[in-house]
Amino acid sequence: MKNREVAIIGCGLHPWGRFPEKSQPELAVEAINMALEKANMDWREIEFIAAGSPLWVYDGEGVNNCLSGTAIERQMGNIGVPVVSTANACATGTATLMVACMAVASGEFDVAIAVAADKSAMGFFRPQSRNSRYDPDYQRFVMTGYTNPTYWGVETKRRMEEVGTTEEDLALIKVLVSKAGAKNPYARYKKVFTMEEVLNSPMVCDPLRLYEICSTSDGAGAVIVTSLDKAKKYTDKPVIVEGVTIGTGSFGDQSLPLYMLSAFPRPGVPTLTESRNAIARTYKMAREQYNRRCPEDIDVIELPDNTSWHYLVYLDCILDLKPGEAEEMIRRGDTDPIDGKIPVCPSGGLASCGESVAAQGLYQVKSAVDQLKGEAGESQVKKDVKVALAQTYGYAGNNAACLLSRGW
Amino acid sequence: MNTKEKNKVPLIEDMFKWPSDEPRIIASRCKKCGTVSFPKLTFCQNPSCEKKRENIEVIELSNKGKLYSYTVQRYKPPEPFRYEPYKPYGIGMVDFPEGIRIWGMITRMDNLKIGMNVKTTAGKLYEDEENEYLTWMWEPVD
Repeated sequence: MKNREVAIIGCGLHPWGRFPEKSQPELAVEAINMALEKANMDWREIEFIAAGSPLWVYDGEGVNNCLSGTAIERQMGNIGVPVVSTANACATGTATLMVACMAVASGEFDVAIAVAADKSAMGFFRPQSRNSRYDPDYQRFVMTGYTNPTYWGVETKRRMEEVGTTEEDLALIKVLVSKAGAKNPYARYKKVFTMEEVLNSPMVCDPLRLYEICSTSDGAGAVIVTSLDKAKKYTDKPVIVEGVTIGTGSFGDQSLPLYMLSAFPRPGVPTLTESRNAIARTYKMAREQYNRRCPEDIDVIELPDNTSWHYLVYLDCILDLKPGEAEEMIRRGDTDPIDGKIPVCPSGGLASCGESVAAQGLYQVKSAVDQLKGEAGESQVKKDVKVALAQTYGYAGNNAACLLSRGW
Repeated sequence: MNTKEKNKVPLIEDMFKWPSDEPRIIASRCKKCGTVSFPKLTFCQNPSCEKKRENIEVIELSNKGKLYSYTVQRYKPPEPFRYEPYKPYGIGMVDFPEGIRIWGMITRMDNLKIGMNVKTTAGKLYEDEENEYLTWMWEPVD
């Protein structure tokens, strides 16, 4: 951050899964407790709260969703500090981290917490209103039966034609990522998949099969930040936030932010601009302040493997690859989550967790922090990790990226 | 036996031309920069354009385009989507000569090909006692 350096001093998670017996704020409290313990800190030391709001206003817990921060602060005990609740779809968790970091970087606050809990709707996501005039999500859903995986299926089919991606490539991604999920105590699915199991799983939206599409989950994450100069008071291993941002798309994008019924592709504008804009801004922040060579300096990546297609296109975006290079990398094993040249998703990714939408970014950040500190247990990657990157993909063109490094 | 023919109505008004022998997508176009939007917008989505209502005109798109890509939705989506009796359906995006790429169901799920020519048509989603509810669909013409 330009004004002052910001560091992560404590992270907490509630494990991913299904927890009908707990409310969202309760899940958040468990994540906060763990983060406070890691930071050797009392709740009353928090000066600013940025909370993530899940999308399920109708299907979910109502006010706990739209006013998530209010609900979480109430569960922890009101301490009279500023609370903001933010909704950025799947980029929400990282959005809370961005807001918390900006609060500290400004100098206005010394200690801030980013927190999000989400009990995501099950099955295909559906619109949260019945407003046929003004809700574009309702319009797209009832008029075309366009579920999120249909869009991903359409783009995967196109990629197969243009780049030569194979069904085996798509299955291999699940096989690779599931190896790491089996080692992560916070992941929901611990099974290691074989190629045969993935290729025999039911077709959902051709060419994407059931095990190549992430499920949805409940979960919660919390991350506490302070200025780097104050961080040593709380931990021996502060993790520097070199860059963190939300990304939105550019006019004329070739691809379609989920829920929109049309794109107006303009010459020279690439696909997934919300992703490219997020990653470019994060790299810029890290370059300007830390002379970081991006993407060459990145040692480990947590990317949004919502489907196997996402895994490939995010390798493209993050590493600035030429068409087909991502496929070559996975076939060579370069992205093996534990002993790859550039390990991808050592947390087990969305494939092993299911997506707890608003909280997912914080899950990724916690995983990246653990890798930097060497505290990832059996999921610790083989190579020495000095710089880690986390990126999310989101509904309606919400994206987020975060670049972290050692502060010790 | 009730032989009265049901009214065929769009499930949501004003998204495609109906009634019509040649259904077409209803979109908006900016008179200044030519940007086309669907569903139609009140203001031009080009960030360089002034946000003035009078800059926007409503247009009907060409009735033919090319299939950008497609898939098949194999499982039934939840409510409020209704497609009855339910069966898996083709769905995809079509590039129109006006420069816009649009989503829609496809009238079949087999023998589809990227780049094939399709035309805009109307198809039934479901019916109740009074009406048949329609949406726009892409019909392969190759």
